[in-house]
Formats: sequence, structure tokens, C-alpha cells
Amino acid sequence: MGKGVSVRVASPLRSYTGGAPTVTACGATVAELLADLERRFPGMRFRMIDEQDGIRPHIRLYAGTHEVRRLDEGMEPETTLHIICALSGG
Amino acid sequence: MEFSDSELERYSRHLLLREVGRAGQERLRAARVLVAGAGGLGSPAALYLAASGVGTIGIADGDAVELSNLQRQILFSSADLARPKAQVARERLQALNPQVAVVAHPLELRAANVAEVLAGYDLVVDGTDRLGSRYLINDACVILGKPLVSAAIHRFEGQAMTYVPGRGPCYRCLFPDAAMASVASCAEAGVLGVLPGVLGAIQATEAIKLILGQGEPLIGRLLTYDALEMRFQEFPVTRRTDCPVCGDAPTISVPSDPAGTAEEGPASLRRLAPRELAALLDSAARGGAAIRLVDVREPAEFAAGHLPGATSVPLAEIGRRDWSSADQQLTVFLCRSGARSVRAGAIAAQRGLHGPAHLEGGLLAWAASVDPDFRVT
Repeated sequence: MGKGVSVRVASPLRSYTGGAPTVTACGATVAELLADLERRFPGMRFRMIDEQDGIRPHIRLYAGTHEVRRLDEGMEPETTLHIICALSGG
Repeated sequence: MEFSDSELERYSRHLLLREVGRAGQERLRAARVLVAGAGGLGSPAALYLAASGVGTIGIADGDAVELSNLQRQILFSSADLARPKAQVARERLQALNPQVAVVAHPLELRAANVAEVLAGYDLVVDGTDRLGSRYLINDACVILGKPLVSAAIHRFEGQAMTYVPGRGPCYRCLFPDAAMASVASCAEAGVLGVLPGVLGAIQATEAIKLILGQGEPLIGRLLTYDALEMRFQEFPVTRRTDCPVCGDAPTISVPSDPAGTAEEGPASLRRLAPRELAALLDSAARGGAAIRLVDVREPAEFAAGHLPGATSVPLAEIGRRDWSSADQQLTVFLCRSGARSVRAGAIAAQRGLHGPAHLEGGLLAWAASVDPDFRVT
């Protein structure tokens, strides 16, 4: 397990993090980070990732400003993982 | 066409800007912009477009003004309650600037009317509050080749992006599908009143820049705004070559009403009208098949009033449970308006629940057609 990485949580998913907009998770890859998030915030991963380990089509993940397309992508310790979710409010 | 003295005075601060000037103001006067959704976003966007002298502004909204709108929908005032939003918006914008034409479209954009409505406009500002509408409007704009300035809000967070066909990605490139998007509306999740003011003003800015041909539009850049932390961020978005509407081999050539989006739910979800549910509950009370009522609203909403026998499982909890172990009892999901219950049904079905049902129109519909004494917060 690598050092903690900052994760910015989309507003609709903050019900899982007790309202926290940013949490810290551990992992050397995006998959490991998400697994760590799931351990601490059960149910959260399912809202972002499907049964085939694909990123759900209403979710985008960015490592800094780089779009994450595969969960086996590595995460640099200093990089923030941004979870962005389609919003519908108008 | 020449500007009148009053127009020269009204737009004098624009005319001083080299980037606008007389030529730019003429472009604004010649422009035709449709504002889809006269809500929190559409209100400030439309007001600024009218004030700026955009010559023709359309307002498409099928709703009426409600008291709870007034916390953020600044087109409307207390005297407008229950009046059609499109009509009130037209009057308000005309009062602000009698020198622009405002067209009221008191309707919800659907596949059947979207092409006809959009035909009269050069550019669309999307401030609707349903994901299904966002896909419909996006597809129509791509197919008709019209620029689209989009924004969306949730609680303290907002997003904005500009889509110009042929010049970058579209909304489907950003979010290909929202069938699993469990996104609560403002009515369900709450929203900071001033939040859509910021995003709606950004939309008006983008529309005006596109009309003027000035500056750098938000093409291929998703702008996010967090009001609590007062933080703007930007994320690159590229066109998907496999996008079904703007990709290299598009499969969508006609806008269609959304099917299977979060609002509509999966085909297996049984939709119960309030009277239908009332009849089933009545039958259960007289020894018929038992029904499990699951209220997916937040605990505070549940505490303020719920149907007898309903259990509280907030939407966020639905995905944490294993529904496959449930017996064959009919499970009916309930919420305020019928949006969260659809999502709950979709999630529970994915997690093994056999044949879920939901109350169509939610407890608001229940109160309207079954029990007028039932209070919904």
C-alpha cells in the first residue's frame, strides 16, 4: 500500500463519506484506492464501478487532470483523484 | 439596421468594449437563443441575455411557479405563484428590456417537439432539471448543428460546459449514459439558492461569447464549481469517436425520448399509480398478498410523515444491501416525487431483487389522489 492519496468526492456521493468533500485513501493504483474507499465507505464503489470493473458512464475519474480510463492505472502519491458525477439539477 | 438613441444608451457600456462594440451589439441583436428550463439556471441566464440585448430569447418550460422556487429562481416573484413559468418569464424579460423579443414555450421539450422548437434558435442554453432532458437536448443540438451551453447543479456543486458540434465533444462524450445515475433533484437534495446564479451567469457569458465570436469557450473543458470551498476546477474532455451521436459512426440520427435513464428506470420496474397501490394495500390488509413498503427518502423526510408500515431505507443505503435474499413479497419503493424510487428500484434490481415496484409520482401523487391529509415535506 502506498501513501495516502487525496480523493475529491462528487457531491451526490458524499452521503457515503459523511458529507466530507475530500477523503484520503491508500493505494498504488486506482483499483486499490477504490477498494480502500469501499472498505471505509461501503456501497460507494458500486455507485461508480460496474460488475465488469468498468467506470460507470455517468462517472468520470481524473488523476489530477488526467482522465482515468482503466482501474489498473497507477496513482502518484501527490496526485488528487477527482470523482465527477453527472448532475441533473437546474 | 441602425440603433435607436435609447439602444445606444442602454448598451453604451458594451459599445465601449472593443470586443463588443457596435458590430458585436448588432450580432447580439440578431441572435436567437433558447433557454431550456426556466429554473435556477435559466433565470439568471435569461435575465442577462435579455439585459445584454440578445434579440430573440425563447423560454421553454412547462411548469408553474411554486413557492419553493423563489429561493433561487430570480425570474419570479411572490405574485407569480401557480402561473406558467414561460409566460411569467416572458413578461419579466420584456419589462427588463422591451427592445428584445421573448417567446414563451410553455411545454416540456420532448422528442416530438424538440426539433420544431429548436428550429427557431441559433443556440441553446440548457438549464433543465432532468438528465433525460439533457440527453434529448444534446442529441437535438448535435443533429441540428446548434451550439449548446449546459450547466447542472447539486447542493453546493455545479458543472458547466459548452458543446459546439464539429468543434469538440458533446454531452454524451462527457457522460455516455445516465441509466445508473442516482442523482437527486434540487427538490430532493436541496440546493444553495445562489449556486445556480453563479452557473447561470457562466452560461449567459458563454452564450454571449459564442455570439460575439470572442474569447475561449468552454469547449472540451468541464468547469466544476464548489461553492463551499469557493473552488473552480477544470477537466479536459475529448470527443469519443464511438459516441452514438457525434462520433465517427453515429447511431442516433433522430432525438428520442429517454428510455431506461434514471428517471424512467429499468423495464422490469413495475410502476404503481397511487390508486393502484392503495388497492393493493387494501387487499393486503384484508388478507391478500403482503406488500413491503420501502421509503427511500432521507430520515428527516421520513420522520416528518410516512405511509403506515413503511420502512426507511434512504437511497444511499439501497446499494449497500443484498436484495437477492428478499422473499417473493412485492417490494414497493417510495419517495417524494417518484424519481428516487425509480433509482432505488433499478439499484435493488441489479442487486438481486425480483420484480421491484415503485410509486409513480411519489408521495406527492399519493397526497394528491389518495390521501389529501398526507403531508409531504
